[in-house]
Amino acid sequence: MYRGREGQWAFFLHRITGVAILLYLLVHVGELTAAMFGAKYSNAILGFFHQPLFQLGLLAVIGAVLYHALNGLRILIMDFTSWGTRVQDKLWYGVLALFALFYIPTIIKILPEIFGGGGH
Amino acid sequence: MAIKTRNFNEARQQASTNVELIWWVFMRVSGVLLVFLVLGHIYMNNILISNTSIDYDYVASRFSQPLIKVYDLVMLALAMLHGTNGLRYVIEDYVHHDGWRNFIKYALYFVVAVLIATGTMLLFSFPFEKVGG
Repeated sequence: MYRGREGQWAFFLHRITGVAILLYLLVHVGELTAAMFGAKYSNAILGFFHQPLFQLGLLAVIGAVLYHALNGLRILIMDFTSWGTRVQDKLWYGVLALFALFYIPTIIKILPEIFGGGGH
Repeated sequence: MAIKTRNFNEARQQASTNVELIWWVFMRVSGVLLVFLVLGHIYMNNILISNTSIDYDYVASRFSQPLIKVYDLVMLALAMLHGTNGLRYVIEDYVHHDGWRNFIKYALYFVVAVLIATGTMLLFSFPFEKVGG
């Protein structure tokens, strides 16, 4: 059984998060490039992306990176050990557990900052 | 075609070309390096400080440090190549029309080449005083 089971969900999420991270990366490099043209343009663009909508998007991208990194390590275990593929479903629950362990404190730290709680 | 397998020996047998096998290995080597580079990057810029406090002065002071330059340059190149090759797998899986598939792939390669070049220029344009910012 593959369809609808852990392996297919792991694969699907890996692809979706991967594409999302690449799209973010293209914007991210473009956004920083403004620094070549001096403080005025750079601060305008950085400030534009400090709006809550973009900061929530960034928090989602951080989650995508975290999942993609952890599931990528799961793929490495499956590729380079003899036992990895046999326990791939258990490894995926491990990925989800570690994801929650790191991502929940991250949300608790960052979410108040987005709505003016800290930072400046 | 992308390799769909779960270990190096199978990958070697399944690889349509040597280049495809090199990409299979690259995805794993760059992937494990990027786990540390990107999570470290996120930790430095989102956890240790607030992302909303980042301004030009912060960016300029970071890009002026040699260690950060090397860190960011390696991360930029690996992430761009890893992401582009990953999206190539996705495009080859879902876009079946030859003309469209090639058009989308080469458009992607063009955008990524431009961004690797501008990103590299950006890193080497600091410290900015020397070029008159």
